[in-house]
Amino acid sequence: MDPDMRSYRIALVADQYVNPPPGGLDAVAAAAQAGWAVMQLPANDYPATVAGPLLAEVAEQAEEFCRHGYRLVLVGGRQGLAEALARAGVAVPDRISPRTSAELTEFLRGQPAPPAAREAGR
Amino acid sequence: MGVAFVAHCLLNQNSRTDGGAHSAGIYSPMVDVLRAKGWRIEQMPCPELAFTGLNRFWAVREQLDTAAFHRHCERLAEAVAGAISMRVTQGEDVVLVGVEGSPSMGVTITSSDPRRRGRPQWPEGTAEHTSGEGIFVEEIRKALARRGIGFPRVAGETCDLAGHDEAAQRAALEAALEA
Repeated sequence: MDPDMRSYRIALVADQYVNPPPGGLDAVAAAAQAGWAVMQLPANDYPATVAGPLLAEVAEQAEEFCRHGYRLVLVGGRQGLAEALARAGVAVPDRISPRTSAELTEFLRGQPAPPAAREAGR
Repeated sequence: MGVAFVAHCLLNQNSRTDGGAHSAGIYSPMVDVLRAKGWRIEQMPCPELAFTGLNRFWAVREQLDTAAFHRHCERLAEAVAGAISMRVTQGEDVVLVGVEGSPSMGVTITSSDPRRRGRPQWPEGTAEHTSGEGIFVEEIRKALARRGIGFPRVAGETCDLAGHDEAAQRAALEAALEA
């Protein structure tokens, strides 16, 4: 098997940056370039009855990553996310609402190394 | 175009079992095809990450085929089915992109070895891949059926299968998108 290539870095990303409008900021491309993974937040057109259960799952998974020393950041935001994270015992991570891909890339690359990456010798 | 509900790990390789991350963060071949063809992407939760965590062992279907894991997948599937239902109601075309060979995310190929148990060592060459759906995909099918919604067309990431062929995988995805 190939060596595991994970970066231990995950950006929680608002839907409008995962599915940007034409000419919009593409956070998936920026994250891929910077070696970050993406956890997508529910689309804004989902009502609370649909978005709530999805946000609860995002928060539970974020808790698992935090507990193991992975680095999380938030790109954009989503109504209900802070409450969902709080229910899972997770603080809202460092956040950016980027205006350009370069700004987002700089933000991602400027994050400190995740404890889990240091532990793994990366 | 439409909406592709994709396996969590396509955008987040950190969610994979230790030893299974094929890239730093985003495993992009399937994602690139979907985006190039104008499909919206909606990422599903990873059923194994939320249940057995980051320190889990590589598993076959029989090891996860418990009432508790089915209940867990049912909860996640209800959340995903709610989103799929809304997109279908909006008139969107929907496809589901899983991970072939996965005990939970396989769409046409899952993994099976009824003898695998105990101390995590197993004979080399065990033929664990077999036709069928993973447990989470099976629960999504049930959750959509409860809503009276047909199961979407599917495609699967094949990077974990022996003989993985990226061109064949791309062709299969394109066929699913265009069917």
